[in-house]
Amino acid sequence: MSGANNDIVITGLAAISAGGVGIAQLRETLEQGKSMLTPVPTEILGKEGHLWGKASGFRAGDFIPPLKARKFDRCSLFATIAAAMAMENAGLQMSSLDPERVGIALGCGFGGIGNSEEFLRCYFQKGADGLIPMLFPNTVPNAPASNASIEHGFKGPNVTQVQRFCSAESAFLMACRFIEEGRADIMLTGGADDLNAIMIQGFNSLGQLHSHATGFGEGSGILVLERREHALRRGAAIIGSVGEIRTIGYLLPGREPEGIARLKGDTAPDIVSISGTAADFPLLLEGTEELPRLEVGKLVGRSLAMGGVAMVALLLTLGDGKRGLHLAASPQGPFFAIDFSGGPSVRS
Amino acid sequence: MRPSAAKGKIAITGLGIFSAAGKNRISFTESLLKGKCAIGPVDLFDVSPFTGRIAAQVKDFDPLDYFDRRTAARLMRADQFALIAAGEALEMSGARSHYSPYDIGVSMGAGAAGMYHGELWLEGVLRGERSHPSLLRGILPDHTATSIAGHFGLCGYQGSITTACSSSATAIGWGADLIASGRLSACLCGGTDALSLLTFAGFNSLKVIDTEPCSPFSLGRQGISLGEGAAFLVLEDEAHAQARNARIYGCIPGYAIAGEAHHMTAPEPTGREAARVMRSAIEAAGISPDQVGWVNAHGTGTPLNDVVESKAMRLVFGDHADSVPLISTKAMTGHCLGAAGAIEIVATALALNAGVIPGTLNFRGEDPECDLDYGHAGIRESAAAIALSNSFAFGGNTTSVVIQGPGGGD
Repeated sequence: MSGANNDIVITGLAAISAGGVGIAQLRETLEQGKSMLTPVPTEILGKEGHLWGKASGFRAGDFIPPLKARKFDRCSLFATIAAAMAMENAGLQMSSLDPERVGIALGCGFGGIGNSEEFLRCYFQKGADGLIPMLFPNTVPNAPASNASIEHGFKGPNVTQVQRFCSAESAFLMACRFIEEGRADIMLTGGADDLNAIMIQGFNSLGQLHSHATGFGEGSGILVLERREHALRRGAAIIGSVGEIRTIGYLLPGREPEGIARLKGDTAPDIVSISGTAADFPLLLEGTEELPRLEVGKLVGRSLAMGGVAMVALLLTLGDGKRGLHLAASPQGPFFAIDFSGGPSVRS
Repeated sequence: MRPSAAKGKIAITGLGIFSAAGKNRISFTESLLKGKCAIGPVDLFDVSPFTGRIAAQVKDFDPLDYFDRRTAARLMRADQFALIAAGEALEMSGARSHYSPYDIGVSMGAGAAGMYHGELWLEGVLRGERSHPSLLRGILPDHTATSIAGHFGLCGYQGSITTACSSSATAIGWGADLIASGRLSACLCGGTDALSLLTFAGFNSLKVIDTEPCSPFSLGRQGISLGEGAAFLVLEDEAHAQARNARIYGCIPGYAIAGEAHHMTAPEPTGREAARVMRSAIEAAGISPDQVGWVNAHGTGTPLNDVVESKAMRLVFGDHADSVPLISTKAMTGHCLGAAGAIEIVATALALNAGVIPGTLNFRGEDPECDLDYGHAGIRESAAAIALSNSFAFGGNTTSVVIQGPGGGD
């Protein structure tokens, strides 16, 4: 299911990350292979020695009027602006589309946490009189996808997923299914996450800055999906196609190989993309050791929804007809294995 | 044997619920049949600074009645509710002993989740105290799905939908589709949420919390009453469920989700967008509007939402709308946010099994702008086989799910 016949294609990409704003900037970061992580400011933790992937080149005012930008939280700005960039990259204009046939499915890990912290801090410090009502609507994790849908007029399926380091892949699965079922003609999918001081302090409190939260990043990676026939009919350039999507939720102790077997595909990839904590599961990587490996998290930081940027990076890297395997995992699950093909060709 | 795409209906073989209106299926059903409102005083945290001070809080809850000390300590309040309700649904279904664990998945809808404990951590940090890090363990809504998967050994798909008040309705629709598409043999799907200062203060700051128990569709209603709890369904391909002689409590024939693309908090005022998702769900279920016996409303009790949902009913059902009761179980359970859709779908399934249409409690008077049958007179017997459950959320995320009772609607 979900595009196993190469019927679902990618026609647009967008990326905002520590690697820059735009796919050209991400491509440059990938080519240089240089980490864009920077030191976490000392005032956040009161100590040095930690890195983060802050999208410091991102200026919302470069894309939307500053007054308008003020009504969005940072994560919503990432999603809303990346969605516009992806639509433009796909050659799509909402004015010529049926809005009810255009949807959005995003992964979002910590969206809303920044607003939640600010809202609660005002309450704890000033009492009920200190509450700022305008902060509250954007405390929900679906604020990024929903703000993007409101701003651009997407009236099709609208959903947000958070599932550990596989949040973007979870949303990607839904988006493919919505295209497959005919619930939408065009789906924007991927992930958005922001990074703020309270998150870093929370990771520090949990002792995760030396484990899963090392080099956390922020940004948004969005892919535009549609049926091949739909894309060809409108003369769109096809960047790649979606193959099989395999997932399991949890590796049962004592029955791990059975679970890993569910993630193995039939086709041999030319390159492997690693996202989340997939690198920590040797069983998952078995058989791919000799293949070129793309680990975008090392360059721009990883986050719960950085799978969006990772999938964009993989598509940017794949040549026509080349096969890519995107592996994503979280410490206690879930696990995803997604096959992609590059370019417009269909390789059987 | 790996699952294959379901050829027929997606059957409900298990139901579980834990809420202020009942801590299991039997007690919740009793509240539903007797029309017992669970909204009252809150003592989970200090509500004295707020205008609206009531909610449907789960009272007399000691996690150690359900879990050993170690398990209880690693679960947040919302996780604990979820594991209790999920356990009830799984036990009722018996599906776990019939399928590979890798063919049973978890599709969750979540909301504020572990925010209550996160608030305790933040308050301590702001006071300059050393807050215990375990308070942050479940700050993200996905913690519950992972906890359920590990606790019950459900190894198939694992996902958490976070679209505020429509989260768990979407999780159930999506759970049904995971079976329909052949990705799973069975799916535990539902939602959980717990009261938190964030949501309590947040809705108070928006001035949408009623000072009295909420009274959906009534004259003089002032807004919502918050609630908390969890509810789950176990879904399977009907043919497989029949083959293993499972009792079938109904099915989920279809669902729809959409974005209104209108406003972050206000519904599209004509009801056109709400009507669109309701029509899409009916179409997805392969039924006609005149087969829908009643609708479990989003029915929050805010002045605007109730009028818009009433308008949507007229757009969907036309003249027939007067004979399709639009009832709100939120007047009984409170608005359970991330768990609301699941609690209402389970309530709807229980009502269809009991052959009743629940009433909408806390009636204060007839509102001329709400001119449908809202069940304010109370519960009634019904032969209806099919009902619709609406969930509309912040962000304009709308979901409508069709629920069919046992053996009905063919």
